[in-house]
Amino acid sequence: MTATRIAHLPGLMPLAVLAITLLLWQSGALMLRADFLPTVGLTWDALTTLGGESDTARMVYNSLRTMFAGFGLAFLVTVPLGLAMGRCDWLREMIQPTLTLFYPMPKAALMPIFMLWFGLGDTSKIVVIYLGASLPLLYHSYQGAASVDEKLLWQASAFGMSPLRRLFKVVLPMSLPDVFLGCRVAMSMALIVMVSSEMIVRQDGIGGLMFNALDLAQYDYVYAAIVIVALIGALLDIALEALRRRVVFWVPGDVLEGGR
Amino acid sequence: MIALENVSKVFRTRQGGLHKAIEAVTLDVAEGEFVSILGPSGCGKSTLLYIVGGFVGQSEGRVEVAGTPVTAPGPDRGPVFQEFALFPWKSVLQNVMYGMLEQGVKTAEAKSRAQAMLRKVHLEKYADFYPRELSGGMRQRVAIARTLVYEPRILLMDEPFGALDAHTRIALQNELLEIWERDRKTVLFVTHGVDEAVTLSDKVVVMSGTPGHVKAVVDIDLPRPRVREDLLRNPRYQEYIIELERMIDRGGQHDGH
Amino acid sequence: MLDRLPLYALRCSLPLAALLFFEAACRAGLFPPALLPAPSAIALATLRAITDLHTWQSLAITIGRLLGGFGIALVVGVTAGLLASQSRLGSAILQTFIRVFSPVPKIALYPALILLLGFDHAPKVLLVAADCLFPILIASYQGACRVEPKLLWSARAMGTGRLRLLFRVVLPAAAPQLMTGVKIAATVGCVVVFIAEMVASSNGIGHDLALAVRTLRTVEMFVPLVFISAIGLLLNATLSAVQRRLHA
Repeated sequence: MTATRIAHLPGLMPLAVLAITLLLWQSGALMLRADFLPTVGLTWDALTTLGGESDTARMVYNSLRTMFAGFGLAFLVTVPLGLAMGRCDWLREMIQPTLTLFYPMPKAALMPIFMLWFGLGDTSKIVVIYLGASLPLLYHSYQGAASVDEKLLWQASAFGMSPLRRLFKVVLPMSLPDVFLGCRVAMSMALIVMVSSEMIVRQDGIGGLMFNALDLAQYDYVYAAIVIVALIGALLDIALEALRRRVVFWVPGDVLEGGR
Repeated sequence: MIALENVSKVFRTRQGGLHKAIEAVTLDVAEGEFVSILGPSGCGKSTLLYIVGGFVGQSEGRVEVAGTPVTAPGPDRGPVFQEFALFPWKSVLQNVMYGMLEQGVKTAEAKSRAQAMLRKVHLEKYADFYPRELSGGMRQRVAIARTLVYEPRILLMDEPFGALDAHTRIALQNELLEIWERDRKTVLFVTHGVDEAVTLSDKVVVMSGTPGHVKAVVDIDLPRPRVREDLLRNPRYQEYIIELERMIDRGGQHDGH
Repeated sequence: MLDRLPLYALRCSLPLAALLFFEAACRAGLFPPALLPAPSAIALATLRAITDLHTWQSLAITIGRLLGGFGIALVVGVTAGLLASQSRLGSAILQTFIRVFSPVPKIALYPALILLLGFDHAPKVLLVAADCLFPILIASYQGACRVEPKLLWSARAMGTGRLRLLFRVVLPAAAPQLMTGVKIAATVGCVVVFIAEMVASSNGIGHDLALAVRTLRTVEMFVPLVFISAIGLLLNATLSAVQRRLHA
């Protein structure tokens, strides 16, 4: 009983989980006493060293820049398309099979092919991230628009609203919760595709840093890079959730509601 | 006010087949009449309401409101749905103001009329609350307020109290009667509750069967204003209920449900 | 069936149009074959690969890793989700775990897994397991939570023990929702195993693509993509069929 009450103190649980993770990591490192699992302390040192280097900031900035470019593009193109699919049956029937076909393909795996076409610059990465973010955005926008309560639209037309006005004033706000869910999934996909493509190409970026450090046996830097990626993922998720809570204020809680 | 002649409606089902929802419905509703459409689920009574509202088109027959054929929804026929259909991102006040603003009423006037209407449904304290913060009964009162406030000539109510518990339902029935007494609008009220139909209406249209058709039209000759306590003690009230229940029962057996 | 023909035609229109366009464009010389081979060339290369023993060896390795990781995620995810749904403390722990670790891209752990487990199968299997775990965990937990409590009470009244209850009552009741998570996990697994093989592996179809890149054989770059897409689609179709049978 008391355990449950403690567990529900806000913020405590995530910190506890993090603390336990660090504890397991540290004890593992001390027990194994090998260079392929550096202690938390060593990793922290590597992290601060990286933090001090201006190269790191530039690298992180470049990675994030391409990620947001790909995500932003995907948002601008696929959210309206998904919403349209939700209201227009034949459009949905035409596009959906192609999406289903494309879904299992690893988007980051297209990097080498795209680099053949677009050269060594950012374009390949942005396109690959765009593809990775598109599918969840498209799917969730479609769901949002398709699940708008018909009665709400009837009510709006009884007020005298034209179909176009109904689209913007009813369909759009009602779809926003699902669009945000799509953004959350798409953002995490964008991060995954970005890191994956950097690992594949190993030119630069955090993924590249990880495997270059691996090759150079600088294992503490490997773990430091992992921590950086984890932090980016966490911060993005927190920021997005905060934004969602402000914009879609009428939908409470997290995606994961369902417990007792 | 509302004239339906030989109206029928056929739907396409998901599997590609055809389903006839209503058949050969002829009905007349005079101005200021409160008419209930009574019947079991599946007899197409909601479909009939949607056709009058212009949300669904009829397959056959003539549908006219004030002499003009119905082709689309409009502000002259105000709907109130069972699911409330409130905008969740707008406050109670904003929801009630919405219909008026859409019809070009100035914001200041819309606001004051909305506030007055909220007073009528006893929700003036909740003007800045959001739908998710209200109970089912309160949400339905907001929905009613929202439709009444822009003064449609006809009210189309689709089992509006169906999603509420018995106690709230009775309270809202009384509130509806109270409001209706003031302006005596034309109301088309769909319900499957016999006592609700008898309590509220001047006339009850009994529908049954699949496809749904009009079984009978019963005039309710009870004094207005209708007060629940007096009604419950009135033997004629009880007789109406018995008669209508019998009609629905027999209708059920006849069509082999 | 016949009256659905226009619907099927509409559905095929986009892929068909794309295929025809690219075939025509490549033949007309619009795209150099070293950059974009014609769909027919890719199809031919795929057929050639099917007759090659090496392809089947690669496929076996990749599919083995995929199923291994997926299996681990399935067992751990379902058990943990079911158990957590039955207690408030368990729920709190599970929800926190998911909230903290979901935003972390599991692929970032790959180098650490390689360091700890070596270069061969183990890091790939564990990476697949880590990525597949979350959709399955969430689906099993949410599915179990949504089981009507009255169902559980009747079963307990009839004498079912708590553990039996979980697997005999809760699991079947949660199965439809669970299957949705399983399908997602299967697709994620395909993607992850392929990428892992591209990044650091000496075998598997992902590695075959990396090899084709190094040896600049463009057509052979597309073939592994065809294979992994096919595997993903097949898995998805199979699981959908299972899901439909569970619903019946």
